[in-house]
Amino acid sequence: MSIVDLTSMSESQITIKNEINQRLSKLRNEVSDYCYQCAKCTSGCEAHKLLELEPHKIIALLKRGLIDEMINSEVIWTCMSCFKCRERCPQKVAPVEVLFALKNMAVACGKQIPGNYTAMLQSILSIGIIQDVKSVTTNDNKTKNRSELGLPEISKPVNTTKFQMVLAKLAVEKV
Amino acid sequence: MKKYALYPGCVIPTEQYAYEISIREIFPLLDIKLIDLKNFSCCGEPMKSVNQMLTISLSARNIAIAEAENLDIFAPCPMCHLAMSECKRILDSDEKTKERVNSFLADENLKYEGKSQIVSIIDVLYDIVGLQKISDLVKKPLNNVKVAVHYGCHLIRPSEIGRSDNSENPQKIEEILKVLGAKPAYYPEKLDCCGGLLTSNLPETALTKTGQKLQAVQQQGFDAFVDVCPWCHRQYDSKQTKAGETVATKLEVPVFYLTQLIGLAFGINKEKLGLEFNLSPVDKLKIG
Repeated sequence: MSIVDLTSMSESQITIKNEINQRLSKLRNEVSDYCYQCAKCTSGCEAHKLLELEPHKIIALLKRGLIDEMINSEVIWTCMSCFKCRERCPQKVAPVEVLFALKNMAVACGKQIPGNYTAMLQSILSIGIIQDVKSVTTNDNKTKNRSELGLPEISKPVNTTKFQMVLAKLAVEKV
Repeated sequence: MKKYALYPGCVIPTEQYAYEISIREIFPLLDIKLIDLKNFSCCGEPMKSVNQMLTISLSARNIAIAEAENLDIFAPCPMCHLAMSECKRILDSDEKTKERVNSFLADENLKYEGKSQIVSIIDVLYDIVGLQKISDLVKKPLNNVKVAVHYGCHLIRPSEIGRSDNSENPQKIEEILKVLGAKPAYYPEKLDCCGGLLTSNLPETALTKTGQKLQAVQQQGFDAFVDVCPWCHRQYDSKQTKAGETVATKLEVPVFYLTQLIGLAFGINKEKLGLEFNLSPVDKLKIG
């Protein structure tokens, strides 16, 4: 299995796309109406000052069904997942969850995933965790890794073939 | 003696050794036994932006591994703790999703049932061990050092999922620090995010967030900064010099894991607490 199966737009992605569509429609139909644009989410948004993310506008765009516009925009990838918007919304609308759904949709549609996500995903597929054991520099400039510190061997999937089967099923499961 | 499966996640066992070493050092003193299990994978949270079903399935897989051994799970990384708590909340209330996830896990002969509890570092230290027990073990009190506490986002939000402390005014770490003899103080930036999750796609901005918070802490005259999350610690400690460059300031804030400060107050020597891995100027602080 390659990373393409998990991320790209192919036959096998139809189920995933349908699911995310359902998630977005649900958010649109059942949640976005509660938003009265008070912008409390944006006032506390960690990504607002530096990156101009405006969660209340995300909800407004969702309400209007402008989903394609959002998944084609870089701005959905500026969320730091601090969950303040979800925590503080007086109407229990959770912009952060809308953003997760939009990003999932962007990925399922074969848009390019920014930055290191691809490398992390690749690492999960091959060894089960986002990165392998590193040699780390100490404050007196030595390098050490787990085994030199007497720490037990790292826990990762014992049978990688079977583990990959689980992930493959998840990516290519058909209706 | 309580026992838990130690779920280390990815970042702690591959690079944030100081957290793991200090946890393994102090937990036996607190009468908590940690069991190492094989076969764990990533909790899935870093992949939530890519495919949320992958997140839920990976978390369920890890919980299922501990359930097979009849163990509750201790997840020291708040991000892992959030992923697993959210997974549990979803699967325990939605039979259909649970069945579906279990159909994925069947290939590895694993099954999520929902028996195991998932506890965080603060659940263990504050709610399970308790202040009294910690206080009884203090041998070298921390001389009133003025400490800025950083909870990190995932430990306290979203409270709907059940988090370890109050989302707007968390105080449990402060209370632990007081018992150790330190002097935690409020600062307006306390709930600010470290920015760490942007490292994958906007690393400069991530460091700017880190730098801004540390700069504020430095200006307010704190002696030390304490955190409990390997992602946050990587920003504040491992990358402190670089973070300083983003705000044009020479940052010299000693950053510790809470478990390291507890160890120092218990009189454990610093080699055994992994202090050699702290790249911020921890030696500035004459404690332990």
